[in-house]
Amino acid sequence: MSTNNDTISKTLIVTISLCVVCAVLVSAAAVGLKPMQEANKALDMKSNILAAAQIEIQGQDINQVFDNQITARVLDLETNTWADDVDPLKLDERKAAKDPAAAITLSGDADQAGIKRHSRYKTLYMVKDGDKLQKLILPIHGKGLWSTLYGFMALEGDLNTIVGLGFYEHAETPGLGGEVDNPSWKALWPGKEVYADNPLDPAIGLIKGKVEQGTANAEHKIDGLAGATLTSNGVTNLVQFWLGENGYAPFLAKLRSGEV
Amino acid sequence: MSQVKEVVTKPVFENNPIALQILGICSALAVTSSLKVALVMSLAVIAVTGFSNLFVSLIRHHIPNNIRIIVQMTIIASLVIVVDQVLKAFVYDLSKQLSVFVGLIITNCIVMGRAEAFAMKNAPGISFMDGIGNGLGYGAVLMFVGFIRELFGSGSLFGVEIFSLVNNGGWYVANGLMLLPPSAFFVIGLMIWGLRAWKKNQVEQPEFTIAPNTK
Amino acid sequence: MSIRSYLDKLEPHFHKGGKYENWYALYEAVDTIFYTPGQITKTTAHVRDAVDLKRMMILVWMCTFPAMFAGMWNVGFQANTAMEAMGLTEAVGWRGAIIDALAGHNPDSIWDNFIYGAAYFLPIYLVTFIVGGFWEVLFAMKRGHEVNEGFFVTSVLFALILPPTIPLWQVALGISFGVVIGKEVFGGTGKNFLNPALAGRAFLFFAYPAQLSGDAVWTAVDGFSGATILSLAQTGGVEEILANNITWMDAFMGNIQGSVGETSTLALLIGGGLLMFFKIAAWRIVAGVMVGMIGMTLLFNLIGSDTNPLFAVPWHWHLVMGGFAFGMLFMATDPVSASMTNTGKWWFGALIGVMVVLIRVVNPAFPEGMMLAILFANLFAPLIDYFVVQANIKRRKLRNVH
Repeated sequence: MSTNNDTISKTLIVTISLCVVCAVLVSAAAVGLKPMQEANKALDMKSNILAAAQIEIQGQDINQVFDNQITARVLDLETNTWADDVDPLKLDERKAAKDPAAAITLSGDADQAGIKRHSRYKTLYMVKDGDKLQKLILPIHGKGLWSTLYGFMALEGDLNTIVGLGFYEHAETPGLGGEVDNPSWKALWPGKEVYADNPLDPAIGLIKGKVEQGTANAEHKIDGLAGATLTSNGVTNLVQFWLGENGYAPFLAKLRSGEV
Repeated sequence: MSQVKEVVTKPVFENNPIALQILGICSALAVTSSLKVALVMSLAVIAVTGFSNLFVSLIRHHIPNNIRIIVQMTIIASLVIVVDQVLKAFVYDLSKQLSVFVGLIITNCIVMGRAEAFAMKNAPGISFMDGIGNGLGYGAVLMFVGFIRELFGSGSLFGVEIFSLVNNGGWYVANGLMLLPPSAFFVIGLMIWGLRAWKKNQVEQPEFTIAPNTK
Repeated sequence: MSIRSYLDKLEPHFHKGGKYENWYALYEAVDTIFYTPGQITKTTAHVRDAVDLKRMMILVWMCTFPAMFAGMWNVGFQANTAMEAMGLTEAVGWRGAIIDALAGHNPDSIWDNFIYGAAYFLPIYLVTFIVGGFWEVLFAMKRGHEVNEGFFVTSVLFALILPPTIPLWQVALGISFGVVIGKEVFGGTGKNFLNPALAGRAFLFFAYPAQLSGDAVWTAVDGFSGATILSLAQTGGVEEILANNITWMDAFMGNIQGSVGETSTLALLIGGGLLMFFKIAAWRIVAGVMVGMIGMTLLFNLIGSDTNPLFAVPWHWHLVMGGFAFGMLFMATDPVSASMTNTGKWWFGALIGVMVVLIRVVNPAFPEGMMLAILFANLFAPLIDYFVVQANIKRRKLRNVH
């Protein structure tokens, strides 16, 4: 029986039927499970955003909490105005960052976060109380030591006080730079203030060692990550970049003055 | 029935694919820093080895000899994609941590090895059990390594705190090396050492012996 | 009763069939501490020399003394200076109790500094010795060979390359890893391809980076943080070091932050010089390391960089920074894990020299490159020897073409 298996016709028949069966199986799985995967992805992102904004879920459905409290809107960083023609659900910022036409290229000193290029459009998330802005959640990212850290930073309605910060993706050294995920370190951020005098030049940053309460500028300083100078510098750089004049600062200024 | 029992249990201790045959080390290094991830990976591999053995065995009389490796690969690759899709749909968090390593089950030598060595020559039922057994052997090692690494590296098991960490005000100083992939080399090495001290027949013949001094 | 006759009386119990057969290794170790072994080589073609492994190892051990004493003084000096600056008058913990009982805290007093340093270094050394010795004896008993004097050297070297504030349980863990994984699993002394002391330190470095690196671990005073000159150089090059009131001479004399035994380049050169004089340490390796380091540094100086101040650091600073001098003189020259051939020693040394500068300058995460450079070169040592031997065979073949 194995001898006639090696004829050309048998080989072709086996190959073709195997390919057909496998192709059907794989595509069925991919297509059939796609909605669930998409939902998972969206859910994951939503829970990250809620965590940064310090909104407690308390056993409720994440989708429901998110939809009730948060509105998403796309910002055009080129013009610093809302770009309402872009659908926040369809915007893929990472893909856009790779496409020079849809991205803003940074060079030299302007590239403080070490990211070279970023998407022109960014999705911002807002918590509103009627018409009044309560919390604004900004996507941020930048180079740490080994990896690019991706996260969200949430600001109060005054666009200066920090509500919370969280990174949802990074590959820093476990136990050192990886401590950016430590809840007790993240708890240092709420209440800190981003800007001192100049609304284009953020004063917020990590320092070496611990912040002593009551010292000058303590409201702008966060404890550095012990033993992780480079990740700490990276976090400072990316926060200052995104809240600085090449990041969201011009837009925040407009927002404060009520221009947009 | 005893044959079924043998093909399922033998790969766990007697003829472990990782500990004795030193196959599938790559993923054992990458996905064992926490037990949860190790468990999901083990289940994924058990499913793939089991079903790939089953399907290869089912059509073994029709596989043309000169393209048999490609046929096996196609079956394995399809199964791996299906498993990957299922994980993404049902346990998204963990599949994010497993990232490419589920996809890399395709290149895991254990799967290919069992399909070629066992499923090509045996009936579907017993082949399926053999696949499950080898998957279990792989999983057992993964769980052991994951246990050690998560316990000493993060002070927890399945994410539940066992040792309270200094960083959170406890007493245990986490061993950062355990969270880095190379530590799995040491853990697997020491495990093999222990296993071979227990089961002497697994010790390999020395490749050469040093000649005694001349008199 | 003399010790000899006492030992002789005990001996039969430790031989095969005796009561304490399993403990022979321990008996042998004690015996050879007091007396030269009774056995001599009997086979043909064997060099007979007054130097044996034990004398060699004891000599290496003694050659670490200058660095050890300088290191202990420096630990105390750094701590007492810091305490004076912080206005503290009492040291803390059980070590503090010992120090306060024996000495004061005057940074100008050699005695005060020395006692302070000893209170930190000696417990580290003791733990290293006891825990490491336990593994040595255990393996010697199980495998039926003798306890090797090489452990004397491994233990002292390991203790000297740790920061003074390291928790003692980490010391125990580190030396266990060094002895068991670094040496015994490969068959014991002579068969290890890595330097066991460095393997142990590398384990600690990756497992507990918070206790092995950073700014807070080098001075044995709570709450004081002082950067090593390597990390100062990383922030702002030589200017930054000088701005912190550290001169090259300070670094050369060993009056800086660092692991216990690695700070004083001068003391290390004295000990290392003796080792080379006695032909225990291979001068070719040391010269190779120097050549590699200077060459690579000059290359980096030439390339230059706007963003990385380490590019501009000259070679004479690299010599006194971090563990360079210690590694070059005591670690790289370990006869087991280094290359064996004369030409190979040059290449082996040069590889270390090049790698250490490369790691220090280009890699942002590991300021101390010496440990990694030597371990890296250890892996290449057999390959280097292989090429040297092959080249030799080839040359001889060509010479004999008829």
